[in-house]
Amino acid sequence: MAEQSQPSANYRSWPVITALTIVSLPLLLMYLYLFLDTVTVKQPDALLPSGLTLNHWRFLWQTTPGKANIWHVTLNTLLFSACTTSLVLIVSSMAGYVLSRLNVPARGFFLAGVMVLHAFPSVTLIIAIFIVLQMIGLYNSLIGVILVKAAIDLPLGIWLMKGFYDTVPWEIEMAGVVDGASRFRVWRSLVLPQVKPGIMALALFSFLAGWGEFILPQVLAPGNDVQVLSVYLAGFLFDDNNYDFNMFKAVGLFYLVPVLIAYALFNKYLMNIYGGGSKG
Amino acid sequence: MKSSRTLGLVMIAPAAVMIVLFFLMPVVLTAVFSMTNMTTATGISGGVYQIAPNSLIALKSAMPEIATEMAEPRYTIDEAGLKAVEGLGLAPGIAAELRAKHTGEVFPARRDVERMIKDLAERPSTREVKQISEQFNRSVLNTRFDSKGQLFSALDGLGFQLTPEQKEIVAKTTYTGWTWTSDNFSRMARSPDMARVLFNTVLYVALVLTLFNVGYALLLAILTHYMPPTPASIFRGIWLLPRITPVVIYVLLWKWLAWDSGFISILMGKFGYPPKNYLLDTAYNAWFFVVLINGFIGASMGMLVFSSAMKAIPKSQFYASEVDGASRWQQIRYIILPQMRWPILFVTCYQTLSLLASFNEILLATNGGPGNATEVWALSAYHTALRNYAGNLEYGLGAAMALVLVVIGVVLSLLYLRVFNYGTLVAQPLIED
Repeated sequence: MAEQSQPSANYRSWPVITALTIVSLPLLLMYLYLFLDTVTVKQPDALLPSGLTLNHWRFLWQTTPGKANIWHVTLNTLLFSACTTSLVLIVSSMAGYVLSRLNVPARGFFLAGVMVLHAFPSVTLIIAIFIVLQMIGLYNSLIGVILVKAAIDLPLGIWLMKGFYDTVPWEIEMAGVVDGASRFRVWRSLVLPQVKPGIMALALFSFLAGWGEFILPQVLAPGNDVQVLSVYLAGFLFDDNNYDFNMFKAVGLFYLVPVLIAYALFNKYLMNIYGGGSKG
Repeated sequence: MKSSRTLGLVMIAPAAVMIVLFFLMPVVLTAVFSMTNMTTATGISGGVYQIAPNSLIALKSAMPEIATEMAEPRYTIDEAGLKAVEGLGLAPGIAAELRAKHTGEVFPARRDVERMIKDLAERPSTREVKQISEQFNRSVLNTRFDSKGQLFSALDGLGFQLTPEQKEIVAKTTYTGWTWTSDNFSRMARSPDMARVLFNTVLYVALVLTLFNVGYALLLAILTHYMPPTPASIFRGIWLLPRITPVVIYVLLWKWLAWDSGFISILMGKFGYPPKNYLLDTAYNAWFFVVLINGFIGASMGMLVFSSAMKAIPKSQFYASEVDGASRWQQIRYIILPQMRWPILFVTCYQTLSLLASFNEILLATNGGPGNATEVWALSAYHTALRNYAGNLEYGLGAAMALVLVVIGVVLSLLYLRVFNYGTLVAQPLIED
């Protein structure tokens, strides 16, 4: 950043900071109240809380009638994002290496194809996969959603990993090959450690994407047994008659906390992805 | 060497398999489904042949006489009916005589068969005649046939004299499953609803893209560029929150803000305004929030891309301009913006596609409402195929709508690959052995 430590004379930062703060106010308010409302009591027409309570967190120890158990749903979510992440990591770290270093037939075509695939709207995949799963009777299972979600994340993963492999100096591989290691061995023990930042970035991205994914589980696995947190929460959102914002917010915060922790710990890795681009 | 090639193929195989199975296949299947009239009413795995009242109405325009005949019951003296007559416990001679003299006969109307039964040697009573005739009622109406062959043999057995062409027409109108058709596309071209949805989509993409994904993102990047590092990273952190927050919570927060028991309502209540649902109140309000909701998410990516591009501008340019007495505005105008051309183009291209395909936020926030005011193309495809309040999910039409998005996506991204000089992206690999 240019002269970030010493703002020069023709510029004062406080008016800009004030302006930006005002623009950011809606966001700040929303996240502030997301936390506040889950632990406090508030009169219906009041803006400020009047007391502390843990009542909004009751979903943790009692199951709402007609809803799935929160811990079961959390486990499903964890399973879903963890499986998706591992699948994406394994598959794209292999494919990325091939596209970066090895000469396979139709390599350029594959790369361009992956790029174009990234532009495909997910609604296409959902409609067709929904019909196919209905046909073969695999609707409402977690495995189907995991595979679909991993496939959707793959193009980005492959491109990202290819980019990271491209930056690894080829002397490392040359040395390995000259010493008599097989190409696979070279990849496993020499190249893979070099692209750790990429793997971290992709892992975090896939995990967050899987954790937050809504539309795929909603359509392909809405059943109580395989429900994930986003679908669970959306169940409250779609229920217009019964609006207990404070409890929804408690569920929401419960759902958001892992994301915030992961982000706080690893955000420098994640920037590699968001800087490069993702959907949104 | 061959080994590297084999290894390459092995290592890329999982990706290829997954992409083909869960990415390409669905797209191809979408194209296939878009050429059918598949709905929940027709089912998804083929249907049966059933001469139902509504298929007879359809048949009436093509073949009025045959349709009328089919609507009437027919009476066939067959073995099943004879067995049933024997089971009625009437005089045994009746069944025997029917079997001997009348097996295989077909009577087009109840009156005819009852006249025949009355003329039997045993002379059954009127009540018995009705009982007996009922056993031979072989109406085709509402019977299910699993295949064309069964339908035709039933029609032949009942004495319908149909030419092969007529049979085909009957088969077509009585089929309850889905059929191949290109109606979906002509429907899309004609429907005023679709035109409305298309307009919404263009408006949505244009507004979010220019106001937030590019405009506001650029503003954020420039402002934080000139800021001391601490506030800069705080603001970047704040504006990244919407992107990392799961979409369901993020939309929940907006609903809390705009709902009739939400923050804005309470705040406005302090000034004497009655509470109302600002999100779904009017079409304008709904649009306002839809643009904000999506824009706040979209701003972050542009901000990151632009920030990192600005970091790459050599600092000496800023120092030199400062010495020459340039103001901040002049620095932005003559140093930053000219060098932002490629990042802006990239963000524009990339986000156009993302926005075209995105519908999660709108689905959760307004669900296309109020009315159809915020229904965009992707959401409409989803509604048509998977969540239709009319009850009948039109898979075929929904697939056709999704296919339109695919075509637009492919065309645009091929265009972008050209713009961004695809050749440099796929330069030959570093090592070849």
